[in-house]
Amino acid sequence: MSPGDRRQPRRVRGEHSIVARLLALLAALAVLPRLNAEEVLTYEQHVRPIFKAHCFPCHGEGGETQAGLDLRLRRLALRGGDSGPAIVPERPDESLLLRRIMNGEMPPKGTVSAKERETIQRWIAGGAKTVGPEPEDAAEALISATEREYWAFQPLRLPVPPDVARVGALRTPVDAFISSRLERQGLHFSDDARLEQLARRASFNLRGLPPDPAEVAELTADDRPDALERWIDRLLASPRLGEHWGRHWLDTAGYCDSDGYSETDPPRPYAYKYRDYVIRSMNADKPWDEFIVEQIAGDELLPQPFANLSAQDQDRLIATGFLRTVPDGTASGAAVKEAGNAVIAESLKVFSSSLLGLTVGCAQCHDHRYDPISQEDYYRLRAIFEPAFDLGAWRNPSQRQVSLATDADRAKSTEIEAQAVQAEAKRTEKQNDYIAKTLEKELAKIADDKREPVREARNAPVDKRTPEQVQLLKEFPSVNVDAGSLYLYDNQAAEDLKKDAETIANLRKTKPVEDFISCLTEVPGQLPETRLFRRGDPDQARQALAPAELSVLVSHQTDPLPTKDAQLVTSGRRLAYARHLTSGRHPLVGRVIVNQFWHHHFGRGIVATPGDFGVLGERPTHPELLDWLAARFAASPVGSGEASSLSRRGADSNAPWSAKRLHRMILCSTTWRQSSRRREDLEQADPDNRLLGRYPVRRLEAESVRDSMLAVNGMLVAKAFGPAVPVMEDEVGQIVVGIENKNGENRPGPVIPMHGEDCRRSVYIQLRRTRLLGMLDTFDLASLEPNCSARNASTVTPQSLLMMNSDFAVEAARDFARRLQLEAPDSPESAESTNGLERIQRAWALAFGRAARPAEVAAAQQFLADQTQAFTARAGEEPDASKRIDPVHWAWAGLCQAIFSSNEFLYTE
Amino acid sequence: MSASLSRRKLLHSATYGVGSLALAWLMRQQSIGAPARPELVPRKYDLLPKVAPLPAKAKSMVSIFMQGGPSQVDLFDPKPKLNELDGQTFPGEIKYDNAAQASSKVLGSPWKFKEYGQAGMQFSELIPETASIADEITLIRSMHTGVNNHGQSIDAMNTGRAVSYRPSLGSWLAYGLGSESQNLPAFVVLIDPEGLPVLGVQNWSNGWLPSLYQGTVIRPREPRILNLDAPPQLQGAPQARYLSFLESLNREHLSEHPGESDLEARMASFELAARMQSAAKEAVDLSGETADTLRLYGIDDPATKDFGERCLIARRLVERGVRFVQIYTRYQFWDHHGSIRSALPSACRKVDKPSAALVKDLKQRGLLAETIVHWGGEMGRLPVIQNDTGPDKVGRDHNTYGFSQWVAGGGFRAGYVHGATDEFGHKAIQDVVTHNDYQATLLHLFGLDHNSLTFPRNLQEVSLVDKQPCGIVQSLLA
Repeated sequence: MSPGDRRQPRRVRGEHSIVARLLALLAALAVLPRLNAEEVLTYEQHVRPIFKAHCFPCHGEGGETQAGLDLRLRRLALRGGDSGPAIVPERPDESLLLRRIMNGEMPPKGTVSAKERETIQRWIAGGAKTVGPEPEDAAEALISATEREYWAFQPLRLPVPPDVARVGALRTPVDAFISSRLERQGLHFSDDARLEQLARRASFNLRGLPPDPAEVAELTADDRPDALERWIDRLLASPRLGEHWGRHWLDTAGYCDSDGYSETDPPRPYAYKYRDYVIRSMNADKPWDEFIVEQIAGDELLPQPFANLSAQDQDRLIATGFLRTVPDGTASGAAVKEAGNAVIAESLKVFSSSLLGLTVGCAQCHDHRYDPISQEDYYRLRAIFEPAFDLGAWRNPSQRQVSLATDADRAKSTEIEAQAVQAEAKRTEKQNDYIAKTLEKELAKIADDKREPVREARNAPVDKRTPEQVQLLKEFPSVNVDAGSLYLYDNQAAEDLKKDAETIANLRKTKPVEDFISCLTEVPGQLPETRLFRRGDPDQARQALAPAELSVLVSHQTDPLPTKDAQLVTSGRRLAYARHLTSGRHPLVGRVIVNQFWHHHFGRGIVATPGDFGVLGERPTHPELLDWLAARFAASPVGSGEASSLSRRGADSNAPWSAKRLHRMILCSTTWRQSSRRREDLEQADPDNRLLGRYPVRRLEAESVRDSMLAVNGMLVAKAFGPAVPVMEDEVGQIVVGIENKNGENRPGPVIPMHGEDCRRSVYIQLRRTRLLGMLDTFDLASLEPNCSARNASTVTPQSLLMMNSDFAVEAARDFARRLQLEAPDSPESAESTNGLERIQRAWALAFGRAARPAEVAAAQQFLADQTQAFTARAGEEPDASKRIDPVHWAWAGLCQAIFSSNEFLYTE
Repeated sequence: MSASLSRRKLLHSATYGVGSLALAWLMRQQSIGAPARPELVPRKYDLLPKVAPLPAKAKSMVSIFMQGGPSQVDLFDPKPKLNELDGQTFPGEIKYDNAAQASSKVLGSPWKFKEYGQAGMQFSELIPETASIADEITLIRSMHTGVNNHGQSIDAMNTGRAVSYRPSLGSWLAYGLGSESQNLPAFVVLIDPEGLPVLGVQNWSNGWLPSLYQGTVIRPREPRILNLDAPPQLQGAPQARYLSFLESLNREHLSEHPGESDLEARMASFELAARMQSAAKEAVDLSGETADTLRLYGIDDPATKDFGERCLIARRLVERGVRFVQIYTRYQFWDHHGSIRSALPSACRKVDKPSAALVKDLKQRGLLAETIVHWGGEMGRLPVIQNDTGPDKVGRDHNTYGFSQWVAGGGFRAGYVHGATDEFGHKAIQDVVTHNDYQATLLHLFGLDHNSLTFPRNLQEVSLVDKQPCGIVQSLLA
């Protein structure tokens, strides 16, 4: 921030709009280098960033030097281009570059702001200075010293947790970092939240579900000092953990059950195996180094061809589904050059935003405008993945499947296929008979004199027919019966043939089901070249580039990446790269992952833009804490020693790359246990709660809203894993859980029973790009373009309408009411004495994890009495007994619906 | 955000979901000198009313979609030649869809045509009410999709291409222009009590546009609008009590979290939802309409009651700011492969009066100038007999090479006949209007350019007409 900068904001149209006012605010607070009158302006620090953003694309980048001008170095600018020197030191008026910018000729697209113009002008006037001597080779200047010094590219350190004044509040080293920062602002931690609140918070954070009342009772009755730690350990052991945290990683990976791209959006029948792999890995606390290596290069750990795969080998192949999540148009026939290229580009985006915390996408067409990632860098990174994607020898999604069939399976299939082919031949014979008979009938309708000529015309081969015969057939179009139109003439025959076809289809269904894995693999021996595409256009391939880490990160690497690893059948590029990423020396991977965990536990990461650690992303609020967590997590060489006696709590130092250890480290902290109540001093000093002087109030994610309703009403089916639970369009086009049953004209047929599949956790529901489940979509699903590092948490009326009126909400509430009746049956049923105290308390315990207060009980009783009375009166007016509703049940259902709609249910605190 | 955040602002943010992320996006959209910053948060879409980028004549539209293919040669496009050759072999080329029932015999129209209005527009005796609005409408006799089956041709008319799962016209309009109403959806569909049309719910799909732009169905039974309308047993006082009990729960909760503006916003969003619900109910409630109006739409007559009600609801919706309303007939209502002599008059009887009433009513309320009314289907019918098994049984097969539809209001040229088919009414031969030409012209009247109204998809900008050759049909414009 630059509080000293009090420039007037630029005037914008619609100045009185909120947006304009916000713009004004933004402009006033804009992050701009402070320019004091005395300050010496240099090329590297002040001018190069402007040239990089506006001029390099045509004057220096990727070999482009239009009009002979290269602006990558001061020296080159001085030399100038075809029109002479671009700048004349100390003489801004004589500097061609400045003149052309000032009169709007340059740049041809976009504008250089007044502030930027002024900077250039003053730089020239001040002698056009540099920080130091410029490199010999302009290409070396690609990354300036300032860029190299950017915080995110520095090696991981293990900072010593700082000393703080309020030592008593500390539980883990995490607290020391947070507390120290708060104290600097004269602030301090909030008190711990109540134990039952923490039980609920922990349950949602770790399992995505509310705690069971029995669990809460047990916890609150446990008077051991580490009762909460024990409770957290129990949650960490729950198989529900993987479903919740697996979903977080699936967001980051851009997981989807369909190929997208085209209108047909073909389903991906085997994608679920990757989803299951992620959930299992989370539950097993698979070390993240292994988890990352498998997802990037699991296939390279296996010999080829893939046969007789063990469960572990299968997992390693499945893991590469991480690089198969983006839309793939080649599944529905889109041109490979465009659609295949998009798959590679989008997969690189998924990879870089999820593990490097960098947006590399724009470097596909030109050097990154803000971060030191050149276009060459981009294609070097692409070269790591190229042998697996291989644009030149593209494999569409079905060609990328690996079969799990055994030899015995194949033999059996062959035998059954032979039988089916035989049956088909018989059917064809029968069909021909029917057609012949039908033809005779049609011919019989024709006058005698024309019948035989028509028959001849009909039987003549199409290309041998005389013009007279063609005319004749036009006159009697009904003789043109064939297999496709037979049903129009002889329905019985068509039905008969249809039955035969069904028998044959059923026979084929008895073949052993061939199971597949969708994965990313390399074809041994194929090593495609990666070329830089000028402006990202595959038709403008330029120089070939070898696989390599991004230039700015290359110094953290011990060995260069191989072009071809002699020890492997594959190129070994991804494997070597994945090992480099997980070496503990990579400056980004560890920081990015621990930040994702922090983000999910606190609603905001230490870096608030989890997918972008670059210049445009946010700076860390607690850089030392981030490093401390990352160094410990990523088993960095610096992270192995114990830094503080506080580390005893909440951590097992012998478990590097352990997510559960990281969870424990965070959840055992005072920071995490704080109350979420706003405090006057915090509101003044830190209204956005960046310093974490309290715990934030957060809305449940879409899946948790649905899952919690099902958990609370007792309908949740705990079945884990397996093919996606299907979704379908209902009668008005809303997407609901169900098996599609429509005829050829897209009109609905009978409803097919789901047998409890509809009550499984949301992570198991089909996620098809064009058919997002309405219930979840309304509450902000992860973006799929192509992945999501931070979800929205919107508050919009469709959410309220859904809670008020949707079938899902009303039925969920009724199920909740039935559960209450079952579990607290002692309550009187009659309208007069519906005090239902026990049932109300049960409802509060299930939904809110606490006891209802007397005022709440009274309000609930009043509501139940009023509703029951009103429904009873209404039932009395209904003449049709079958349409009369049960007043007591509907009154309770209304209570339950209000609970589901309430803020206390939809938020954690 | 502070506790002092005004209620008004809360309502605003609750209605349109302009959360802090969306604001961040909006701010980025307004360039402040720097090159566009890559999007770090998902783009948010809303239904806020948007000013059309070009001068606009139309603000809203009612499309009366006559699925199945009304016979143009029996309603709108008189062909004396057919009556002349009635029963004889058709002299030209014909593409049949149903070979078994195909015949090459010409079928002259059994109905008489007359001239109406100042332009002498010809209509058959089956649609006298439509004839009475001849001076208000533009009759296009040269429609062409060229894809000879229902599903594909419907897709062409509704979504711009003869392929499935693309966004429909209504979704594009909602995306491009938002909604003028804060309490009603932007795109509403009125379906027939007798069931869904061909392609079912796909007809109002948002395709790959955000789901916000999907058509909202007003069902012919309770609850009329799913999620916008309570289940029947909860309507009225029970739901009001639920809301007030919910409010008390939330107030209690809020007292423990003073200043938590998102909690307040959610409380406000329930209030707004309740208001939207009553607005929706009010919009479909015809009890306040005068007897004259009900008669105008034929609501007093069992034959026209249902369709009349839906046309009247359509008027009430556009009156209240709904952008696009589409009225559907039941499955294959106009698909007269057989028994056309009895089926076509009964179909006309159902829709003729209410459709014309909508135009008259909009006109008398001063709404026609800014409301487009469209009446037509995805195809017409062949000039020859199908099912030659007796005069009562004959029908006509599909024809997408030349068919008729009419449009009115919103800047279309009133009292004008556009284009022509050949002497048999089979193929459009003069001033052919393809589905994409028609769509480009519609968008133009809404102040939108068919090549500029795009959505980013697969790294490309895609549009309704999907870069197919087409253009605005200037002579259709007033």
